[in-house]
Amino acid sequence: MNRVVITGIGVVSPIGSTREKFWSGLIEARSGIGPITIIPTERLNTKIAAQVLDFDPAQHFDPKKLGMLDRFAQFAVVAARAAVQDAQLDITEEIALQAATIVGNGAGGMNTLDDSYFKLYGQNATRAHPLSIPRLMANAACSQVSMDLGLKGPTFTIASACASGTHAIGQAFQMVRLGQTPVALAGGTEACITVGTIKGWEALRVLSTDTCRPFSRTRTGLVLGEGAAMFVLETRERAVARGAPIYAELSGFGMSADAGDITAIDPDGAARAMRAALIDARVNPEDIDYVNAHGTGTALNDKGETIALHKAFGASAEHLAVSSRKGVLGHSLGAAGALEFAATALALHHQTIPPTANYEEADPDCDLDYVPNTARNSPIQNAMSSSFAFGGLNAVLVLDRA
Amino acid sequence: MAVLESGVDQTEAAGNAVAVIDDVRSIIAKSLNIPVERLTPETRLDELGAESLDVIEIVFGLEEKFDITIPLKADEATRLAAADNKSGGPEMPFSTVGDVADIVQKLVDAKVSPKVAQ
Repeated sequence: MNRVVITGIGVVSPIGSTREKFWSGLIEARSGIGPITIIPTERLNTKIAAQVLDFDPAQHFDPKKLGMLDRFAQFAVVAARAAVQDAQLDITEEIALQAATIVGNGAGGMNTLDDSYFKLYGQNATRAHPLSIPRLMANAACSQVSMDLGLKGPTFTIASACASGTHAIGQAFQMVRLGQTPVALAGGTEACITVGTIKGWEALRVLSTDTCRPFSRTRTGLVLGEGAAMFVLETRERAVARGAPIYAELSGFGMSADAGDITAIDPDGAARAMRAALIDARVNPEDIDYVNAHGTGTALNDKGETIALHKAFGASAEHLAVSSRKGVLGHSLGAAGALEFAATALALHHQTIPPTANYEEADPDCDLDYVPNTARNSPIQNAMSSSFAFGGLNAVLVLDRA
Repeated sequence: MAVLESGVDQTEAAGNAVAVIDDVRSIIAKSLNIPVERLTPETRLDELGAESLDVIEIVFGLEEKFDITIPLKADEATRLAAADNKSGGPEMPFSTVGDVADIVQKLVDAKVSPKVAQ
């Protein structure tokens, strides 16, 4: 089996859309959560989100192409271009024919859907825009990445709600590892900050109205985010041969389903995915130095995830550093696992643990080391990044210092 | 509230209370797919096998029916539901069918009070 490494990272995020800005925002715990400005909020009870505000589509796409792209596809294409550039990847005809493109997103072109339905139902429009369907289809982002970069190998979208990005990276990892493709573009994207989507989340009663405080006793719920992260994954052999930068090695992938509640985390299911990832990576619980937690900032997730970490890691949970990105990035659903995988790879690369932002008070239900508010320089050999999705779908990746 | 109490006929208020409890019973019965006769004001929600999303759906049904907003977080819904009723935690805003009807009545009253004041 091939060893698989990460050679390119591209991000579009609420704290900046270059790898450097993204990383500095994470280690400074500079929150991207703020008042919603990209959509009207009169009808919303939730007035905050983690929006991508420095993103000007016209800088990246000509008007004709832009007409084809929902926001979630714009994010994916821009992140994918950045990843390819970062990896110094030359897309030759040979590579183009083989490279896989696998993108995770929980929804699809929700901005397009929302706009179209508003015109039809709210304004009694008689017709929809002819590009509505190509823009909003769930695979639009993945297809646009493939078209933009000319990648013609195995190409598909993975939808597993908040685990989509992690499942997509895991799938690409397995394909490169098995030799099905030498190179894969993989990651996740989401642009769900629409009136319709936020109303739906409000109805689930899990949104915070002030900010997101993962693992803190004072946490009040999650905050929606948006963005994308895409990666170039390739065989270690190939990366070394061409002298590519290597951020980290991807060493394990574990999956499970709870087959239980549609929304609540099941600590047993989450722990099974963590253990599967450890076994796949051939490491022991005590070998993991850092866990990028799902850490949504809801009362139930953070408590359940803490129980899961105890179950999966046993006594070594005490020595784990665990932190959540969601106080900074919000919860970008299908993109979350990918953005957090970027954070985890960069943590290994920089040997620095990004902190849990907005942490205020210890919670007896959350009794691990959450690296509150301040980044920590600490040797990291192995790290884990976890995603636990609505529908009880769990996906966990393990990374090794390159 | 004081404005409301002085401005509304007492028998009308009593009639509304009966209507509220009946609507509350029927909305809960429908969400949980159980006979409405099983529900008395003393029936506890956590004895009915409700899950957290059932509680959230019931609260949604009540909000739609009465045009009110009921403050409830998802974790409170979970603790109200049967699956997690022993985990303790802060006191819940309601636990019985009658409590639910009381909350709905208060919110309905609060909604009409400005009109009564005019």
